Amino acid sequence: MAKFILRRFLLLLLTMFLVSMAVFLIAEASPGNVAKNVLGAFITPEQEASFLAQMGLDKPVWQRYLYWLAGSDGHASKKVGLPLKRITTAKGYEEWWAVDEAGRMIRWKMQGESLVALVRGETGDETESEDNGRWTTDENGKSIFWGVDRQNHAVLWEKGADREVWSFVVGKGWMKTTGGPVQYIPLKKGFLRGDPGVSLRTGRPVGKSMFVRLRNSLVLAGIAFVIVMPLALVLGIIAGLKEGSLKDRFLSISGMMFSVIPEFATGIFLILIMSHWLQLVPGATVFGEKAPWERPDMLVLPVLTLTLIELGYVLRITRASMSEVMRSPYIRTAFLKGLPYWRVVTGHAVRNALIAPITVIMLHVNWLLGGIVIVEVVFGYPGLGQYLLDSALYKDINALEAGTMIMVLLAVSTQLVADIIYTFLNPRIRYA
Amino acid sequence: MHKETIMEKSHEIENGAPPPSGKSRFEKLKNAAAVLFASKTAVVGLFLVLFWVSTALLAPYITSYGPNDQDWKAPNQSPSWSHPLGTDELGRDLWSRLAYGARIVLVILPVTDSIWIPGGTALWGVFASLLFGATLGLLGGYRGGWIDEIIMRFLDAMMSVPIILLYLIIVAAIGASAVNVVLAIAIVGTPGVARLVRSLALDIRTRDYVRAAETRGESDAYIMFTEILPNAKGPIIIDAMLRVGYAIFAMGTLGFLGLGLPPPSPDWGSMVAKGREFILIGSPWAALWPSLAIASLVVGLNLLADGLREESMRYQ
Repeated sequence: MAKFILRRFLLLLLTMFLVSMAVFLIAEASPGNVAKNVLGAFITPEQEASFLAQMGLDKPVWQRYLYWLAGSDGHASKKVGLPLKRITTAKGYEEWWAVDEAGRMIRWKMQGESLVALVRGETGDETESEDNGRWTTDENGKSIFWGVDRQNHAVLWEKGADREVWSFVVGKGWMKTTGGPVQYIPLKKGFLRGDPGVSLRTGRPVGKSMFVRLRNSLVLAGIAFVIVMPLALVLGIIAGLKEGSLKDRFLSISGMMFSVIPEFATGIFLILIMSHWLQLVPGATVFGEKAPWERPDMLVLPVLTLTLIELGYVLRITRASMSEVMRSPYIRTAFLKGLPYWRVVTGHAVRNALIAPITVIMLHVNWLLGGIVIVEVVFGYPGLGQYLLDSALYKDINALEAGTMIMVLLAVSTQLVADIIYTFLNPRIRYA
Repeated sequence: MHKETIMEKSHEIENGAPPPSGKSRFEKLKNAAAVLFASKTAVVGLFLVLFWVSTALLAPYITSYGPNDQDWKAPNQSPSWSHPLGTDELGRDLWSRLAYGARIVLVILPVTDSIWIPGGTALWGVFASLLFGATLGLLGGYRGGWIDEIIMRFLDAMMSVPIILLYLIIVAAIGASAVNVVLAIAIVGTPGVARLVRSLALDIRTRDYVRAAETRGESDAYIMFTEILPNAKGPIIIDAMLRVGYAIFAMGTLGFLGLGLPPPSPDWGSMVAKGREFILIGSPWAALWPSLAIASLVVGLNLLADGLREESMRYQ
């Protein structure tokens, strides 16, 4: 068993690795780029090039993948020649600083031809001083310096290069400044060390946005799950008790219908009926800063949509399993012994009939995740699925990768849990 | 009541004139029809599917507007005599768009704006996944060894990725067009087909006729595609029928997410996505009809498949 779990765990890691590479390569091979998606179709080629360089997107794909996976600070630290450190400021921002020979935290900026060092004090205050001693000369005789700038990049400054830099300032638009660096390495710790990077679309750390989104999605999925499971199991058992009866035909056909109709169609029907014509509950979710559970009326329709879709599937599995058990010889024996009907059903049939559905439910998480994405889009619910869709459409690679990894992790680990539960429910099964 | 009629029918078949040893084609067809019409659900399903197939085939003859004809004076209208299902936000006739939408799903695959090939987008998607899946499955099942191991691990990895994610990544990456939708459906469907074909191939490769072909010195490709594949076709065809339903489902979902056919194609999913914005201002028709269309077609296909399977099991 331990060997089995270990093997599956390794397979999970392998899957995540393969998927992360595939996402990177597919995003790479696709037409268009994130600069135009984020900043609009009317940016100039210089602005586009500057944006791509600042985001580190001008690097070759293998290097970006390594940076994403394992972080860029090690590589950058070698270039700068000083150890680099990430801190979180009092306001909650993440900042990268170099630690100089005296143990002070230091960053730089260019003012005209001269290099200015910014030293961070104990309380977060910054003192400026000229620091032209750090220039070195490269093989072409140019004065260069690798340092850390104020936007969390490791950068290469070149004396007299006087590069124009376009940076996008929120609320002001494109600002042109001079004295910019020649090369950028965006600093990040890498996915393996728990830092999925910064969203190219919003500029916010992916981890922070993702946490809220994931929480919202889990709330939605959790409520739906709690409603669906008991309901579907009970209805499935009722349908399976007497195969071919009117109850059975009604339950299994309506269950089938709800499970094969696409989620968005079910969602639209519910919005039209419940919200447009009957005006009972809101047809969209607008939470603002509030958490989903503070507006339960807005949760009704998304949860109902998910419930209907999942209900049919679990119901049909339970029904099939139940009707099979009811046909088995030991049930007939129990009846022939003269046991009361309900004793046979509850004592003998149900317990054996539930083995298959419970494991299938876990395997079904894969489908549930898909359903959630659509339901979130239908109702404008601010969850992981919507985030993932937006990231994919914008080619926001850091956010896309992080969302993908979470989804794969959820899907694969629930499959593993299903396999383990199965061995407990059915002791005849052994995994080597 | 229902059960009785079935009993009677099976009784008739047993007591009727014994079928001639060489069943004529007509006889076979009659038996299949008997199975089909014994099940009410299958008949309902058949009716729904036939409705959409004939609508798709006859689209130009049963609509009075083109799918992209705009009537600027009549946007977002409710059903009326001139527009039986109403109009969308650009004043396009919803019935025409639905009918031409069915055409894209079931009858034609628009390769570019002016070129199209017969066979619906959903059908091509299923066909392509059969092609890829059968090749991989045959290769893994027949050759075995490390080839099998690599293929299976790769497919395992693909299967464990949430399907919606695959769609998102594939179509968001390669852009929205009918051919890319086919490709996405094919890629997502491939692992399932491959697993099915592999398990069939594992069984069939031990048969004598495969041994004979090997002894004759036939090539691997010949054995895989002309010895094993034809003998595995039964389960594959049943699986493919169910996959058509999934493919239509997938097409709708992709269209809804904005990853389907580019506008102004009358793609059902994107019609819903667009129409959704106008529910709040009081014109639900543009969102309602395509949702109903896709739901009825998918339900019809599943009812048909379900009824057929149940009835054929009963006869056995």
